[in-house]
Amino acid sequence: MCVIPPSLYFIAPGLKKYATLVLKKELYYLKLEPKGVERYIEDYFNATGNNMVSTLKWKVLFYKNAGWENSSHISDLIKYYLLSSDFFINKTDESKLVNYLGLFNSYKSPFPNPYSYVLYPPSEIGEPPR
Amino acid sequence: MKYDNYDLVVIGTGFASSFFLRKYLSKNDKKKKILVLEKGHVYPYAERLKVEKGLSSPYQKYASPWQENIVNLNSKKVWQFTTAYGGSSNCWWGCTPRFMPNDFNMKSRYGIAQDWPISYDELDPYYYEAEEIMSVSGPEDTPFPRNGKYPLPPHTFSIVDKILHKKYGNQYVSQATARASRGLTHRNSCMALSTCHTCPVNAKFTIENSGMDIYQDSRVEVVYGCAVFSLETVNDVVRKVLYVKDGQDHSIGGEVVVLGANPFFNSNILLNAGDKNPLTGKGIGEQLGMQVQIYLNDMQNVGGSSWVNANGYMLYDGEHRKDFAACLIEVNNAPYFIRVERGKQLNVASFRMVFEDLPIASNYVATTVNKLIPEVHFNERSSYALRGIDNMKNKLPEILSCLPVEKIIYQDTEPNEGHIIGGTRMSNDKNDGVVDKHLIHHQYRNLFVLGAGAFTTYGPSNPTLTLSALSLFAADKVF
Repeated sequence: MCVIPPSLYFIAPGLKKYATLVLKKELYYLKLEPKGVERYIEDYFNATGNNMVSTLKWKVLFYKNAGWENSSHISDLIKYYLLSSDFFINKTDESKLVNYLGLFNSYKSPFPNPYSYVLYPPSEIGEPPR
Repeated sequence: MKYDNYDLVVIGTGFASSFFLRKYLSKNDKKKKILVLEKGHVYPYAERLKVEKGLSSPYQKYASPWQENIVNLNSKKVWQFTTAYGGSSNCWWGCTPRFMPNDFNMKSRYGIAQDWPISYDELDPYYYEAEEIMSVSGPEDTPFPRNGKYPLPPHTFSIVDKILHKKYGNQYVSQATARASRGLTHRNSCMALSTCHTCPVNAKFTIENSGMDIYQDSRVEVVYGCAVFSLETVNDVVRKVLYVKDGQDHSIGGEVVVLGANPFFNSNILLNAGDKNPLTGKGIGEQLGMQVQIYLNDMQNVGGSSWVNANGYMLYDGEHRKDFAACLIEVNNAPYFIRVERGKQLNVASFRMVFEDLPIASNYVATTVNKLIPEVHFNERSSYALRGIDNMKNKLPEILSCLPVEKIIYQDTEPNEGHIIGGTRMSNDKNDGVVDKHLIHHQYRNLFVLGAGAFTTYGPSNPTLTLSALSLFAADKVF
């Protein structure tokens, strides 16, 4: 674990704020509905736990300018945001505003599987080239 | 209990027991007295669904985590099973490919392990019957011998599936599955939600939604909360079944006894009963799985209609099995494998490579001081299976050369494939196994020992359809 200087720890923003900054940085190419992002971060960290170790990991990631390529934390954060929004329902259309719909859960929310025939029926699937 | 002695005493209400009982009832008269002892309780699907949604249920008291039912000496190995009415039909994921014919002939064909005492051809009619009962969805042209249509049409392909099917024909097919492709009377059609252990839409076949009314038959008496721990035998004939209910020991007599619990508990019961067969409890295991992500260039892998959309047989059967394990490719659409790079989120195919393994004597079930709880020793994978992994990594790039592959990422092997196999293997010769081809114990000739415990070898294909067909076969041939 990277050691954070105590001065930095005491003046640095909270865990959720770091994660919000990371998410917006990584998804810069999308128009994210802002209140939805806040609600997602709240729900995500309530679901995954909120302790000092997590806080330190998120701060390390932010200050090291880590990206999804070298952090499964960031990758998971992005992944679950996209799954929890209408991004895949809108077929990954970057021109559309991305709205958070509630934390991805196949039992609680009617999120279709982003790969599935529900969004891509057989009529839309082409045939292999000859 | 209504009686002191029964014509048939069945332990468990999972696939093995249920399919056996169904056949038995169809072949016996109305006067038979049948007792079913189920260790768990009725925990209805609707109540399990409530709990998954974060609601409470009065049935939660019947949840019985697998970790509390066995002593698992290897904390890195996971064994999923359900102790309740319907057994592991409550938690299975619904994959029902048949075995390949050579899975039954590993010794004579490849010089590996032991041949089964039953052939694919003998089991074939019972495969059809089990597929009908489960309303399996599947393709017309399969790599294993099969004529005609499945009860339900196959699930739909993605473009990746279509490309691979075009190249490999019936070696890459829509998976035969008990996750319904169309709505039925008792089940809905699959929505590919990929949380099949408790299907959010009740598309997966379970004993509860099966429409089989075996446990409501007037001949059948079902008693819950009965944990069978041993048998009383006299001159190699099973006379009584010993069980604990409400903290007290009980016994009940049966002319014919059927062990239909999972292999851990079937072995435990036999060992507690004094079964001295050196192979009882030995060779416990299951397949070995590895997840592989295939990143694709400019191709979205969309359109599949179930969790596992297809099976690939390109690494399965052949002369290589003399040297290393067969591999079944499971092609899944689970949403947790999306990518996060811009514009590439769905440009990924997710393959689960499932390797056969061999029964190893150092993997076994033993009794403990608690007569109800066996301990499971599992510390070893065969070098045969591990060589299969090496071969797969060598061959996969070429196999996938028809796709625009950007990168292949091999994950670590998985802690479980959801199966429990071995411990009471089948054989012709009583020195080579525990049960005969009709699943009757070689020593106790009025005792059936059902389920995947009877498998002689552990091919890559999912075991549930085969163990169900074996139950139908055994009951049909013997009664």
